[in-house]
Amino acid sequence: MSHEEAELHCEVCGQLTDHELHYAGRLLDSVRCTRCGTHVELSARALIPAYALDLEQRLLSKPRRMLRRIARDPGGYLRQLPRAVLRQPRKFLSEFRGLLRR
Amino acid sequence: MSLPPSARAAVVMLAAGEGRRSGHHTNKVLLPLAGRRVFTWSIESARRLVAVTRTVLVIREEDRDAVMSTIDREIGPPDVTVVVGGDSRHSSEWQALQALAPAIEAGELDVVVIHDAARPLAVTAMFASVIDAALEHGGAIPVRDQGHLAALGEGVQPPERVVAVQTPQAFRAAPLLEAYRQAEADGFVGTDTASCMERYTDVPVLCVDGDAGNIKITFPEDLFLAERLLAKADWDLSGRPRQRRESAMSHLRDLLPHGERQ
Repeated sequence: MSHEEAELHCEVCGQLTDHELHYAGRLLDSVRCTRCGTHVELSARALIPAYALDLEQRLLSKPRRMLRRIARDPGGYLRQLPRAVLRQPRKFLSEFRGLLRR
Repeated sequence: MSLPPSARAAVVMLAAGEGRRSGHHTNKVLLPLAGRRVFTWSIESARRLVAVTRTVLVIREEDRDAVMSTIDREIGPPDVTVVVGGDSRHSSEWQALQALAPAIEAGELDVVVIHDAARPLAVTAMFASVIDAALEHGGAIPVRDQGHLAALGEGVQPPERVVAVQTPQAFRAAPLLEAYRQAEADGFVGTDTASCMERYTDVPVLCVDGDAGNIKITFPEDLFLAERLLAKADWDLSGRPRQRRESAMSHLRDLLPHGERQ
């Protein structure tokens, strides 16, 4: 699971506050206000099937996305490819582990 | 809607944010959203129109590296002009207009469209609608009726007709540039683009129909909703056959609020 931090309006605090956002792959999993702790998350019932469908779409669209990046910057793509390939197993493992913890 | 083939428009995407500019957190327009970053969705929607020949993205300086790598990854040609915004919306618009000034003065642009990059669900038809109205009338802003408003207790009743104003807003390029030049000279800071146009020009600003789906990312729940609606444009996360747009909102029932709410 990856995470980001951003400023969003918190309904409880009534102001712009810092929030932690957690993602399952490309999908937003949960958001928490770091000031008051208010937490909103997608239920596992909704997240897991959505993740599976999103994963399928990610895999199907990968060749198209790869070709687009190769066309734009072949040298840069080839330079980044080995590291990107090595990163994939760990990335997916982390995503699956995050989902299983739900 | 079909625009005149000769129409040329520039789109100004305001992505400098309204945050506290602490520099420690991601600007919300740079957050991931349904496979892309928030701000690139509306750039993509606007640039589907042949009439859109220029794109100016207004950012904050501390976001430059993240913005440039996102543009490189998610936005194809033609190039996006990146300018650093000011400390208000008006100031950010002025920075963008200065970048466009040579093209406007050379008569290469008919219309300038101003859009808040935190509204990733603005559809191509809405960009076309405001550009078309601006070409014909001078200015156009999308609005949504807020007929359900009522006063609290003994409070003053709201006016009979209240509307919520959205973006994208479009204006004829030359009068818009002139209005902002005069505002700069006077030290006037408008609350939005239309207020500056109304103060310095007699160009009529037409209200066009807004879109209930054109939400602004403000609260955490907005991100969940936007993700579902945007994903539906490309692939369906529900696993069901494609349905009407309203049905995507039904996924909100899956949001679980935790913690104390007052």
